[in-house]
Amino acid sequence: MMANLDFKATRSLQEALDFLDTNSEVKVIAGGTDVMVNLYKENYSYSGILLDISRIEELKEIRQEEGWIKIGPLVTHTMLLKNELLEDKFPVLTAAARTIGSTQVRNRGTIGGNINNASPAADLIPPLIALKAEVKLQSSSSERLMPLVDFIIGPYRTAIRESELITEIKIPLIKEKYYSNFQKIGRRKTLAIARINIAIVAIIDEHKVIRDIKIVPGSATPSPRAFNKLEEAVTGQEITGLNLEELGKLAGEEMVALTGERWSTPYKKPALSALVKRSLTAVIKEVEGDGENQN
Amino acid sequence: MEKIKINLNVNRLEYTLEVEPDERLLDTLRERLKLTGVKEGCSIGECGACTVILNGEAVNSCMVLTGQVDGSQVLTVEGLEVDSKLDPLQQAFIDHQAVQCGFCTPGMLMSAKALLDKNPHPNREEIKTAIEGNLCRCTGYEQIIEAIESVAGRKDCKE
Repeated sequence: MMANLDFKATRSLQEALDFLDTNSEVKVIAGGTDVMVNLYKENYSYSGILLDISRIEELKEIRQEEGWIKIGPLVTHTMLLKNELLEDKFPVLTAAARTIGSTQVRNRGTIGGNINNASPAADLIPPLIALKAEVKLQSSSSERLMPLVDFIIGPYRTAIRESELITEIKIPLIKEKYYSNFQKIGRRKTLAIARINIAIVAIIDEHKVIRDIKIVPGSATPSPRAFNKLEEAVTGQEITGLNLEELGKLAGEEMVALTGERWSTPYKKPALSALVKRSLTAVIKEVEGDGENQN
Repeated sequence: MEKIKINLNVNRLEYTLEVEPDERLLDTLRERLKLTGVKEGCSIGECGACTVILNGEAVNSCMVLTGQVDGSQVLTVEGLEVDSKLDPLQQAFIDHQAVQCGFCTPGMLMSAKALLDKNPHPNREEIKTAIEGNLCRCTGYEQIIEAIESVAGRKDCKE
């Protein structure tokens, strides 16, 4: 089989960028949890060069800097969900990481890979978009920043150039008190690829009024995106007074408006409605819990 | 298609190997080192039959290229036994009749071993999470979980 495949491993970011600059037909591999499945499906017949970046230590850090949390693309899902800084600042990301694959998959799979693979069902992408994450893209001669929502341009498609690597994922810290939630429906409890998932990030004031909200379902549209109509419908409202039934319906209608009727619509429409209700209910519970603690 | 020279410590023995660019850790262990306790099931990271411990973490060896792990330490089921003595986990699997056809057993053992190495007293939920990537299609999971619990010394505080 695979007569034309070559392999190059590097532990240096500069070397990786230089290699991408001077070679074509390079496929980057990190944790391999998506790349290896694709290779298997193609009977390992990929021709070109596999560039292994999994050992570049400088891309494995999580740190707080000024108003941002910066995450290296080679941070694994296990590292994400065990990180206390993340759990404190962005528990919605921790919750999403916990639902990915299995222990073995979480030990190898990376946040950069989850983003770059750009599966419509990726579990980290909805929370990252809801948190207004940006990706840093570097080549040997350039560096640019892009909102994650713009970076992902379609199912399994991103705006990355052949000579670029994702070298950082940065999330702005939220100054106001905010609430968040992640929900997922899979075919089974573990190892499940999301049939549909959702992330909510909401800034809610002391009168329980939603000041700003991001509602991002995954697997509902070709690439995860905020549901603007749904967001508009709840912004400025008191969260405890929301008509969840109506909002669930609205979410389903917004999905169909974005994607058209598909073979999966009869399942996904009510499923998304249920998830919207479930995640808003979880947020409401938390808000009410906080209210009681203050009294 | 150049071969890649790598060093690997497998079951406490040092190896220097020349491997293919597309050679999976699974292939190296089974075909080159004849460690056939490492099983190939689904080949896509779903079943966990190929689980080994790589630098202390349970991984699916079907999803790792050997070229990626130069200088690493690998433990397979063959390495659990030390000086002709079974690992307590292996004995517990026998005692609790946690083996039927046996195909999932090596992977199950390695997932359990990785857990106990990090967390010697896991609760039942932590055990379930550790083996969630290991599919068993015959005994069911109860005996397996009980076997691991017995080694974890937590039998008495079962939830």
